[in-house]
Formats: sequence, C-alpha cells, structure tokens
Amino acid sequence: MSRRTAFSAQTLAVLAALVTQPSDWRHGYDLARVTGLKSGTLYPILVRLADREIVEACWEDGEPAGRPRRHLYRLTRDGLATATAALAATPTPAARAAPPSRAPRPGRAAVPRLASEGP
Amino acid sequence: MERLTWVLAKMLGDAARLLPPGRREWVEAVRAEAELVPAGWPRAGWLAGGLWLTVKGAEIMRKIVYWIGLGAVAAAAAGVVWLSWHTSPAADALTVTDRVRVLVGVGALVLLPWVGRRRGWFGPVGGSITARLVRVAGCAGVCGLGAAIVRMDRTVGGGPHGPGPFSLPREIIAAVLLGVGLAALRVIRARWPQVEAGELWGCAAMAGTVILALVPAQGIVIVYLAAILAATSRRSPVANASLGAGAVTGLAAGLAAALTVYELNTQDDRYVPLILLVLLVTTIMSGALAGVAASWLRPGTGEAKELREARIRQGLLAGAASGAVAGLVLTDFGAIAVFMMVLGPLLGAAGGALGGAAAAEHPRRPRPVRSWAAGLFVRF
Repeated sequence: MSRRTAFSAQTLAVLAALVTQPSDWRHGYDLARVTGLKSGTLYPILVRLADREIVEACWEDGEPAGRPRRHLYRLTRDGLATATAALAATPTPAARAAPPSRAPRPGRAAVPRLASEGP
Repeated sequence: MERLTWVLAKMLGDAARLLPPGRREWVEAVRAEAELVPAGWPRAGWLAGGLWLTVKGAEIMRKIVYWIGLGAVAAAAAGVVWLSWHTSPAADALTVTDRVRVLVGVGALVLLPWVGRRRGWFGPVGGSITARLVRVAGCAGVCGLGAAIVRMDRTVGGGPHGPGPFSLPREIIAAVLLGVGLAALRVIRARWPQVEAGELWGCAAMAGTVILALVPAQGIVIVYLAAILAATSRRSPVANASLGAGAVTGLAAGLAAALTVYELNTQDDRYVPLILLVLLVTTIMSGALAGVAASWLRPGTGEAKELREARIRQGLLAGAASGAVAGLVLTDFGAIAVFMMVLGPLLGAAGGALGGAAAAEHPRRPRPVRSWAAGLFVRF
C-alpha cells in the first residue's frame, strides 16, 4: 500500500516550523505559537508525525527548576527529507491560499487549506 | 478561572489513564506545557485541547455510544421477558414453550457478547462505527424477535413460531450440533492452520444452515446472534462497506416485504402465492443490490483475478447479510415469516454473489485515503 504524501495545511505549518531549525528540539507551546494552532489540533498532528517517524520526541533532560519537564520534538533524518519535499511541492503561501469558503474567525490564526491537497 | 484550570488539569491527569501506555506521554506533554501558557482562558483552552486529545485517543465517545446502545438492548431484553410473563394470563403448555424460547434468546443475548469480549470469533467488536451500529441494531432486532413472539401470544393465543412445536430432544440435538460445530472450527484451525478463513466460514455457514433447518426458534436466535457478533468482530471477513450495504438494503427490503405482507394478507389467504413471490424476489434483489455495492466499494488492490474473487466474495457476504437483515426485520414485524430467517440469507447470498460478479469488472478504484474526521481532526 502506498504511503500518503499529501499533508494538510496544518501539518505543513508544523513541518515548516520544525524545518526552520531542524537540529533544534522544540516544545509544543513554542510550535503552537509559531503555527497558531490550538493544542487540540497540534498534538494529534505531532502524534501522527511521530507514528510515521517523521518527528522524534523525547522528554527534556534533568529537572528544570520551577517548571515541569517539557516534551520536545524535532524532525528525524527521513522526516527532514519528507518535510522538505512536501514543502517544496506546495505552492508559495500566496498561491497556496484556496478560495476561502468562509472568512476566518478574528483572532484565530488562519491556516489556508491547500487547493492542491489530494485526498 | 483558576478553579476551572485546576479542574481541567485534574481531569486531564485522570483521563490520561484511559489511554494506552504509548499515548499517555502525549497527554502528559500537554499538561507540562500548560505551565507556559498564559493563565486564564488561553491555559484553559490549552488543557481542553489535551482533553480532546484524550477523548480522541481513547475513542471515548465511540465507547460511550456503544455502551449506551448495549444498555438499551439489555433493557429491551428485560422488557421482553417481563412482557412474556405478564401478557399471557394462563401458563398453558404453549405459553411455557414460548417463555422458554424467550429465555433462551435472552440468555444467548447475554452470554454470546460476554464470550465476545475475548479475542476470537465473536470479539472484540470492529473499530468502525458501522460494525458497532450493526452489532447493536442486530441485537435489538433479536430482541424484537422475542417481542414478536410475545405479541403473537397475545393476538393469536400462543403457538409454535418456527419449524415445529417445542420438543426437548430437538432442543438437545440443536445444542449438541452447535457445540460440535464450534468445537470443529477450533479443531480445524488448530490442526490445519493453512486452511483459509473463507473456507472455514463456508463450513460454518453450511453447519449453520443445517442447524437452522433442524431446530426451532431458539436455534435461529442463537445462530443469528452468533452471526451478528462474528460479522461485526474485528476478525470478520465481512468488509465494513459490505456490512453497511447488507444492513441498509436488508432493512429496506425487510420493511418493504413487511408492508406487502400487511397489505396483502387476507383471511382467505388468496394472495399467499403473490406474497411468497414478493418475499423471494425482494430478498434476492436486495441481496444483488448489496452485492453490487460491496463489490463496487471493494478497493482495487491486488491482481485482477484475486480482485475479482475478493469482490465476488464480498458481494456474497453482503448479500447474505442483506437477506438475514430482511428476514429478521420481516419476522420482527410479521412474526409469521420465521422461515424467511432461514431462506433469506441463502437467497440473499445467491443474489449477492450474482451482483458481486456483475460489478467485479469495474475499473480499479484506489483505496480511499481521506480521513472521515472533521473539525479538530486533521488529515494528512
């Protein structure tokens, strides 16, 4: 069975955030701020990316003072190639914006859905 | 707001235990990150997202709906037992006979799903909504059968419903046959593991047909319940699309046939041949329709010959399901058509195989990759 390669716009946003500093570990809230995604959307994406071994995850070393340990994420070697290819295959952000079916809600980060996104 | 945030964090911690071990760390991650999120609504929203992750990961909503459905079926079964004891004024031989049938049916309804909790032929239930819906609706249909028997007691005054009056030797033969059939399946699987599932299912279907032809209503109820559980289990060879197509076409055919019986049934029985013709044609046609749908919906993977065989097999299974559903619905509403519960699956399977063969040559259809989830669900 062939693997699916078409990513949703939200997933592409996460990949784009991770690909900017591929060797750095990022934490969830950081990714949420960059992508504008809510935790209920971001974490299912991270879970699936981790299941597909595009993203690797680990807990922060040691016990930081004054806050709990963070769960950290970064692209795997294969994941970096996959993400780079997926982002390169998508049109530029301006062209990426599909005709909106409805206006994005104010205050919510509007992530355009790709017109070319296949099923 | 602090109180709400605290409650959400507590709920998140408790809910994480519902998840499999490999998923719990993701919920813990959300909790840990919550410390970074600005207090107030943003943090509450963050934690609520974690709860959503838990609900999704543990399939909580699906389980809740499923157990509500099972609870409703259990309540209906209890209602049927209550009816059978409170609607027949005299405990004569025929009434006792029907009470025994109702009790055996309810017993099977309790016992078989309990057996189905273990991994095996009957369980656990398939992951799809279709499988869960068909399982709950099928059990409800069997409850309806008990209610139909009780209704006949009230309106006709009791009597044998099925192939003959109550007979203890025949009951024992039925139980022995059922036990031998199930044991034989286990032995075959243990001794000859190379035997394909399809062949085993064929043997099971033949054994079931013999049991159905020999034994009275109790046997029908037990075989139907076993078939419902087996067809909706995780290991079932019946594809979701076939199950759905069989259930929908069977429901439509059963209701149409019940309406026909209701309209044409007269005191002098002059329309009986016409009724029989309508029942047979409707069942075959619904089976064929289910077969076409199942064959069409079978994704186009594998070699052409194998694909054709797989599509015809799914067509046959969908047709059998359609005929069984039609027979069950018709009996639930008509009560005099118990024979259709035996004949229906056979006719439906024949129609389904024909329909499956007719649609087996359609262009290959790629496996659907779209997620059915919506809203916060995200597709790759």
